[in-house]
This record gives sequence, structure tokens and C-alpha cells, in this order.
Amino acid sequence: MSITEQQLGNGQPATTSKSDVMTLRDVTVHYPVKEGVLQRVTGAVRAVDGVDLSIPRGQTLGLVGESGCGKTTLGRVIAGLVPATGGDIWFDLDETAKAQMERLRSVPEKSMSAEDKTIWSHLEANHRLGSMTRERQRVYRRNCQFVFQDAFASLNPRQLVRDIVGRPLRVYHEASGEDLDLKVINLLERVGLGPQHLLRYPHQFSGGQRQRISIARALALNPEFVVLDEPTSALDVSVQAQILNLLVELQEDLGLTYLFITHDLGVVQHMSDYLAVMYLGRIAEIGPTAEVFHDPLHPYTKVLRDSNPSLEGDELDHSAHLRLTGTVPNPIDPPQGCRLHPRCPVSTSECGWQVDDMFLSLETSTPASFEAISRVERSSPFAAQLVMDDDVAALELFTEIQNSRSPFGGAVENIELDGANVSIRLREVEEIPLIPVAPGRMSSCLLAGRPDGIRPPAESR
Amino acid sequence: MTMTSENVTISSESQHPRKLRSRASSVRWARRREVMREVLRNPLTVIGVVIITLFLLMAAMAPLLTEANQPDPYQSPRDWANIDAAPGVEGHVLGTDSTGGDVLYGIIWGSRLSLQLSLTVVISTLIIGTFVGSVAAMRGGRIDNFLMRVVDVFLAIPELIFALAIAAILGPSFRNIILALAVVFWVKYARIIRGEIIRVKQTDYVAAARVVGDSTWNVYRKDVLPNAVTPLVVQATLDMGNVVLIGAALSYIGLAQAGLTEWGAMVSAGQSGILAGQWWVSTFAGVAILLWALAFNLVGDGLRDALDPKTEGR
Repeated sequence: MSITEQQLGNGQPATTSKSDVMTLRDVTVHYPVKEGVLQRVTGAVRAVDGVDLSIPRGQTLGLVGESGCGKTTLGRVIAGLVPATGGDIWFDLDETAKAQMERLRSVPEKSMSAEDKTIWSHLEANHRLGSMTRERQRVYRRNCQFVFQDAFASLNPRQLVRDIVGRPLRVYHEASGEDLDLKVINLLERVGLGPQHLLRYPHQFSGGQRQRISIARALALNPEFVVLDEPTSALDVSVQAQILNLLVELQEDLGLTYLFITHDLGVVQHMSDYLAVMYLGRIAEIGPTAEVFHDPLHPYTKVLRDSNPSLEGDELDHSAHLRLTGTVPNPIDPPQGCRLHPRCPVSTSECGWQVDDMFLSLETSTPASFEAISRVERSSPFAAQLVMDDDVAALELFTEIQNSRSPFGGAVENIELDGANVSIRLREVEEIPLIPVAPGRMSSCLLAGRPDGIRPPAESR
Repeated sequence: MTMTSENVTISSESQHPRKLRSRASSVRWARRREVMREVLRNPLTVIGVVIITLFLLMAAMAPLLTEANQPDPYQSPRDWANIDAAPGVEGHVLGTDSTGGDVLYGIIWGSRLSLQLSLTVVISTLIIGTFVGSVAAMRGGRIDNFLMRVVDVFLAIPELIFALAIAAILGPSFRNIILALAVVFWVKYARIIRGEIIRVKQTDYVAAARVVGDSTWNVYRKDVLPNAVTPLVVQATLDMGNVVLIGAALSYIGLAQAGLTEWGAMVSAGQSGILAGQWWVSTFAGVAILLWALAFNLVGDGLRDALDPKTEGR
């Protein structure tokens, strides 16, 4: 069943079935980087870079990742606050519509049959953000709400609570006058506040109360789906628990769908049915929360889990913990292949090693030969010609790379020595897609589907 | 759950919706009074307010304080029997000028001209500046670029010189001084409001209003403008003084009609007598200008301190 304005007008909850509230296909958000007086575009910050995601109705999808991985941007894109620069965002697809979308998505419109063309234009007009009809856009706007991380910043300091919470109702002419006041009081009571709070300004409340107000505002239109952007990260732990319990309670009562964005693994474990782990603008792994925690299928997930301090003591075997090396790469120029490979503790030769990774490795392992490189001519991220200071240094580097036992050594497809020149070609690896590895579980790690799994190559348990 | 602040308590019977509407407006007024109290905590601001009030009273009661000159009350009545009379001479408390014009009369009626000048200029430039700045900031892109380059051109020329040039082209009259100042002063407001709107547009509460699906006009009216006007109010208050200062400078160099009871023109008229020891005309008119500009600057600074976003909204 899809939602119609009429159903909502009657205040009935939309029928729940196995369908997605939101479906993302290859969504990107690139912010142009401009340079110089003429403001020429010289590159792009790839905040979100090719995300496929489905948010199932009535469930909570947790979205975790470290700061700067693009999780907030992704949430804002889904809520329509930031336009996507690529890909499609679909709203309210039932199973049939989703199947049609998947089938026709990759077909160019020219080669569609007449019937398919009708189906496709129907899909575009009713379900796709950016091409929806005005009416459908209203339905989407009403059904998709957002709760901000900083509640205080999301409340207009010059409006009374009554006007803040009542505003959505006014916009859609749902209520006015006394009726509006009564509805606002109902909403406030629903989130644990009362009529005495109606005529106060946001600065007169505590942090937890402010977040309650913004939750009340988000619920005013009886939406189906709420994006929660770190709703508790600015709060004390005790208040955090209250807000989380409130959210769970509201979800049970109202059949809400949540996208819960957070960096707090403890919270996400408590809140979400499904978990998506994000790294550098892409989804690393996705699956049912308990399974993802118990048996991560991506080394990044494993690192995140293992770095999470636990109050229960040493139930996990610390010696098997994975650690990342280095820092997060620049999202303007993310690594080829698997985005994690330069930092990954279990990387193999197939992970997408580039010439630049090799330099990094050489700089630490053999600084002398690294110093001796006088010029580099790159022909692609995977191939380059190195001009060395002299023939001896070139020979040293040549043998060094040939005998290298690090993962990038295995990625060398061809290396030639010609006097002081060393030309090298590494294995070219495409961006690794999110692939299904187990029922309901997807991972973008090459090792996830293999018998040994994502363990450090040398050791086995 | 504990409450955090000294809230306006609402008695239980006032929770009835019918009474909420009036309660809401009284809560809003209570908030405004609170801000006013904050503003008036600074003694210097209070001094400014007192001086302004006195000037306003003077302007309002001009016909009661003195007998209005016919046909034009903004020309001093000439007492040809008492030319260059020193202060204290019978009937001329502050003396007369070289054409027998009474200085006190000039100062009293001059306050009306100053008020007219500053109010007309500030209100009209506020409207124009807010409009231009808002369009630039809300639309952005090329429109913003174009409007701001126009503003840059205006800002590149010093206020006084620019106003002087325009007034000189238009010809000497008080109305043309007002016009010239209006042309010069709007750019500042456009610049200020544009910057503020761009800042406010990036806040979460504007994003929240957009998630709800409210129209751009409503977002501008309810969220953007109310949170962007504070620096504009401060600047407008300061300019109430500045306008009179520059207006006086223009009439001092002869861009107002001769004999007008404008303070700047009076300073100019009294100047020739200073060397002969007739200090009173220029001095009293000059003091009037000084007090006017000082008072508005004191209040403007007080407003700035009290309404500063960093201290606001505790």
C-alpha cells in the first residue's frame, strides 16, 4: 500500500507492509572545491559517494561512522535538506514498484517499450525525489521529518513553544485557533511535557526538554518516517536514556520508521533493527544489528566494535582486536578500490593499491630509497615511472619492491628497470561494490565472502 | 523533571485555549520588557534616552514654547532692534544672530527639522536597504553578485563627499539634503542585513522550517528576518545621530535655504561673529548638534551591548 494524502488526512496510520520508506540508489553528494580568483572548480569533496540503501517501513536503520564520513549529509539528503548531486532517491516504494524501479533503472529511456515508459514516468512522478508532482512532494514533506543534533539551534529563539510545535499544523492548514492550541498540548504531553510549557521560549528549557520539543514538532504531522541526526549526542547520559526510551515508545505507538544517525555504538545497538556502517562516503557494511555486532563482515565494522569501550569487562579477546593505522584520507581524493585499504589491518594485494600507497609504504620501510626518488611520472593512479638519482638506487628500489612482502608487493603486476628509471604497474581495481554475502547482509569487503573471512592474513584462530 | 529558569508562571485556569491567545501576547511583551530593562541597565544609555526624550518634547511643544513665525515657522522671526544681542538680553535668552534671529527659537524649531531629517532618512533607507539586502541574500547567485557590486560602488565614496555631490547637483534646499542622505545611507543597511540573513539561513531552525515545508516567504518572515534585524536596529539608532551630523555639515556649507532654523545653517550663520566675540550663535547651535548625535550614539551603543547575540538568550 502506498500512502495517499487522504489516508493521512483521516489520521489513520498508513498500512504497513513489506515496503521501503526510502530507497537510495547510487546517491552522491559532491561539494565543488573552487580555487583562485576565477573560482574555477578544481575538484569535489565527495561527502556521499555512491550509496545504496533501503529503509524498511516500521523499522529503525542505524547509520554509524566516524565524524566526516558523510552520515549527516546522507541523512540530510534523505530528508530533502540537501540536494543529491547524483543517483536517485525513491520514496514510498512497495514491492512491485521497487521491482519495476530496479528493472527499469539501468534501461535508457529510449530503448524502453511504450508500456515500460508509462510505468517509468509513473514511478518518477510519484516516487522519485526531484521529479515528484507537487502533490506527492507534499505527501513526502509531511511524512519525512528530521530531528536535529543540537535541539537548541533547531528552535527559533524568537518563537514560543506553541508556535514552534504548532507550525507544521499551520503550514498544512491542519488546525488553527483553539484547535491548534489543543493539538499542540496533546503533542507536548505525548513527549512528556505539559500545557505549562506552551508559552515559553526555547532558552527557558533544559537540553533534554528542548530535544523533546523538537521531537514534538517532528511528530506534529503524524509522519511515517523520521531522520534522527544524533538526537542524544549533546545530552547527559541520564537524559540520553530518557530521550531514547521516548523515541522507542513513540515508535511502538505510532509505527514510525527511523533512520538513526549516530557515532555511539552502544546507543545504536539499543535502538536499531538494522545497521549500516559508513566509511568515507560509502556504506561499508549493512545487516541486522545483532548479527553485524556479533560477526562483522567488514574490517572497519570490526575495528569500530572493538574500539568501543565496554563496561562488561574483558569478555572479548583483546589480542584479536583489529586496529587501523594512519588517519582518514582526504574525501576530495579517496583511495581506489576499497576505501579502507591504506589503513586496513587485513588488506590483501587485491584491495586496490595505488602508486601513492606504495610511496607511503616505502617512506617507512626503506627511507633511503624513498629519498632517492627524484621524479615521478604518473600515467594513472596505478602506474608510474620513477626516475631515481642513480642506477644503484634504482636497482635497490627495484629489488626492494620485487621482494616486498607487504600487500602492495603482491599487487605489482609489472616492474621494469631501465638504468635510473623504474616503471611500475599495479593491479587495477575498480571501486568495490556492496555485495550480498549472507542472507540479509551486505559488505563491501572482498574477504567477506571467503572461507577465512576478515582475519589478519598471518594468524588464524 | 526539573525546570530550569525563572519562568512566567501560568495559572491553571489560563490554560484554557481561549485565554492562551492573550496570554501569548503578554508573554511576548514580558520578554520585550525584559530586553528593555536590560538595555536600560547601562547608565550611559539612560542619559542618552533622557536627552532624546527632551529633544522630542522640545520638537513636539515648539509652538507652545515659542510663538510660531508667520508664514514660515522654520525661519527665525527677525528682531531688527536687537541684532547680535548677547544671551540674556530681554526676550532673547540665548541671544540673536546678525539678522536679529532668535537663537533659542532656532534651536527649538531646529529640533523639528533634525527629527524630520533623521526619521525620513533612516526609515526610508532602512526600507530600501532591507529590501535590497534581503533580495540579494535570499536569492543569491547572480542577483546577489550584481546588487552587492552596486553596494560596493556606493561604499567606495565617503558618505559626506557623496552626499555633498548629490545635494550640490540637486540644488540647495533642505529637501534635497534629505534626498542626498537617503541615496547615501541605504547601502550600509543592505550590506548588514545581507550578511545577517546569510548567517541565519545556515542555522538549523531555518532548516527545520524547510523540513516542515513552509514557504520561503514564511521562513523569511518568521525565522530569518526576526533573527537578523538586531544589528540593523543598532545601526539605525546610531544613524539617527549621524544623519543629523552630516546634514548639519551640508547646510553649514550652504546647501540649505538661507535663514533656515537648521542647526548646521545656524552654526554657519554665527561663524562670522565669532571673531567679534559673538560666540553664542554658533556655540548653542553646535551644542544642540553635539547633544543630538551624542544621545543617539549612547543609545545605539547601549543597544549593541544589550542585544549582542553572544549575551542574548540566556
